[in-house]
Amino acid sequence: MDLTLSQIAGCLNVAEPTLERWIRQGRIPVERIGGECRFNRAALERWARDHHIHFSLAAAETEPVVAVSGGLAEAMRRGGVHRDIGGDSIDAVLKNAVAHLTMLPPPMQYELHNQLLSREQLSSTGIGRGVAIPHPRSPFTGIADLPLIATCFLDHPVDFNAIDGRPVFVLFILIGDSIDCHLHLLSRLAFCLRDDAFIDFLRNLPPAEALFDRIATLERPLAESGY
Amino acid sequence: MKAVGRLQSWRRIAEWRLFRSDDRLLMILLALVVGACGGLAAVAFNRGLTALFNWLEPFRGEPWAFVLPGIGALLSAVFLHRAIRNSADNGVPNLIHAVSRQGGRMRSRSILSPLVSSCLTIGSGGSAGPEAPVVVSGGAIGSGIARLFALNDRQQITLVGCGAAGAIASIFNAPISGLVFAVEVILGEWSSLNIIPIAIAAVAGTEVSRTLRGNQIAFDHRLFDIGLPDIIASAGLAVVAGLASVLLTRMLYRIHRLSGKTGGPVWLRAAVGGCAVGFIGMALPVVLGEGYHAIDAMIAGHFTPGLAIVAAATLAKILATALTLGSGGSGGIFAPSLVIGSLAGLTYHRALTMFWPSVEWIEEGCFALLGMAGLISGMLQAPLTGIFLIVEITGGYEAILPLIIVSTVSTTICHFLEPASFYMKDLVERGQLLRPGTDARVLSDMQVGELLETDCTVVSPGMRLRQFIEVIKRSRRNYFPVIDPESQRFLGLVRLDDIRPYLFDPLLYDAVVMGQIMDSQVATAGPEDDLNEVLQHMDAARLFSMPVVHQGRFLGMISKATLLDRYRRELMVQTHWR
Repeated sequence: MDLTLSQIAGCLNVAEPTLERWIRQGRIPVERIGGECRFNRAALERWARDHHIHFSLAAAETEPVVAVSGGLAEAMRRGGVHRDIGGDSIDAVLKNAVAHLTMLPPPMQYELHNQLLSREQLSSTGIGRGVAIPHPRSPFTGIADLPLIATCFLDHPVDFNAIDGRPVFVLFILIGDSIDCHLHLLSRLAFCLRDDAFIDFLRNLPPAEALFDRIATLERPLAESGY
Repeated sequence: MKAVGRLQSWRRIAEWRLFRSDDRLLMILLALVVGACGGLAAVAFNRGLTALFNWLEPFRGEPWAFVLPGIGALLSAVFLHRAIRNSADNGVPNLIHAVSRQGGRMRSRSILSPLVSSCLTIGSGGSAGPEAPVVVSGGAIGSGIARLFALNDRQQITLVGCGAAGAIASIFNAPISGLVFAVEVILGEWSSLNIIPIAIAAVAGTEVSRTLRGNQIAFDHRLFDIGLPDIIASAGLAVVAGLASVLLTRMLYRIHRLSGKTGGPVWLRAAVGGCAVGFIGMALPVVLGEGYHAIDAMIAGHFTPGLAIVAAATLAKILATALTLGSGGSGGIFAPSLVIGSLAGLTYHRALTMFWPSVEWIEEGCFALLGMAGLISGMLQAPLTGIFLIVEITGGYEAILPLIIVSTVSTTICHFLEPASFYMKDLVERGQLLRPGTDARVLSDMQVGELLETDCTVVSPGMRLRQFIEVIKRSRRNYFPVIDPESQRFLGLVRLDDIRPYLFDPLLYDAVVMGQIMDSQVATAGPEDDLNEVLQHMDAARLFSMPVVHQGRFLGMISKATLLDRYRRELMVQTHWR
């Protein structure tokens, strides 16, 4: 395999001029044939091991920082829209809502319910104006289709200890697979929920497709700005 | 693989399959060649020196003979300054400098120029040693051969050491001394990678000398029967030898500085110094030339003058050496150290027998020998070189116990009074002595350009705080260089820490632009700056990172975090050998 000097420098995590100097000073095993430098992979790996230097060819292909991908709309599509969730307390509402998440096997639903509850005990996820965003305290693993946001409309508003004291009529249950992803979706969701028109739109219990379209429209400028 | 293609150029020997498998084999072969060449240079130089000395012998009785060393020093200075316009490459310090700072690169003319100029100085009677020029010449041969085969720096340094080892081994017919001198004094690094080729070179150099000059021990003598009183007394000799070394070192530097201050042409200063040596030589002929005959006489016990004259001769030799070398003559301190050492040993012995006549002391020759070890160890601050050299050139292993005591104690005294040896003093003062594996060495190897962090987000002076907040959101760094979009000049630096209070004040979002809040007085470093100085600056100003700017252009940031990472890596690469 032909590697450039800069790729080998990348493998060793040093600057290219450093690698050139090491070659000149004879600190690194290399064969010089005419003007060409040839590294023997086995020798190079042995050298790196002897010097306790990390060497990996994988690092040569500098992986671009993977932006947390996937928009809000896709996550909401995965979570689905659920209506007429009954219950008069936070516990009951969450229990009924989780029961609607049929993509989760029952033991996981139980686990999720417990985690959502323990998060509510820390402080309410009711962010005001009738909306709550219940989520587990730590990233949830073991489910294939993550992240997901389940939109759950309640059959009647329930007191959620929200910051503005108003009863909650809709839950967005957010399950992310990493903290990055969790924060990313939370931030986008919060951005959408700042829009009064969107809240009014939610109060009218829109059909699922209309909701997803509206979300996609709202988040487009965010996606374009790369944030 | 076409063998023909690879063999077409003999200079590509390093690419032969045999050597590609392991370059140690190549190094051993080249060490053999370099060691032999160093040995040849030593023999040739010795022949030339003897011829010149003998040719001038008839004139030494003349009343005007004192000008002979002056003329020699004059010619030597003229040769260095006029004929090859180079006075700087001829001493062992320059060899050490080349090893320490230039990856062993030496000029090819250093092969011949020290030999010619020293031959003039010493052959005419100047008090200097023939070893240093041969060592430098050998080192230059090693460097030349390394360049011929396009070897890397490490190998080149090893070959320079090989040349020095071959030279010393050949002059004294002493292979171990050659090896120890090259490693202890020239390279300063004990690793098998160096020692094996250098040992081979020492063997080659010795064998060349034995073939051409016969296998003779330089200063042969009777067996000494050393008793306990002698061993105890040797500690006192060590003190005398140590003090004599310090005196010689200081006087050399004193006269060198004095001569530099007086002004006047170099050749005139050298001539005056040479004539002064000639005057001393009129009274005490023992000070003239390299002085090996005198050493022979002293060890054999044939040196008759009494205590006062021997003591005076010791001081006179120190003065003569300082005058010869300090005023511009060319040569080394090896042989003068040996002469001063044996004179000091003799002085000490005469004083002992005078104060404690009842004790049965060993022959004076033994103390002459111990004094030589003390002076060499003290001047070079290299105890092993002193011990092995004296054992080998006298063939006297029986004196090893007092020899070790004298060498180590003398080195300690000299190190206490003069922290850097004669060879290193100048280099240390200029901060040019960088031994492998030290902090200064690692820092001097790394360039600012190797530490650049280029993943900074650049902003323009007209950018509003509102836009800047979007930049911060996407950036991974806390420093944002401000660049003029038209001229691309670096204007200043915005530090997140400095503007943190304004970030949360929406009223300012459109009121403030980057040009207002940047630090335009920020200290910058250049890509060619010495890393050590950059670091000292960062420490003094308590900076954690600095922008690197070249001709007004921003190149990147240099930070202590990256530095630590790279420094550690560099240290691992430099200090672990296979």
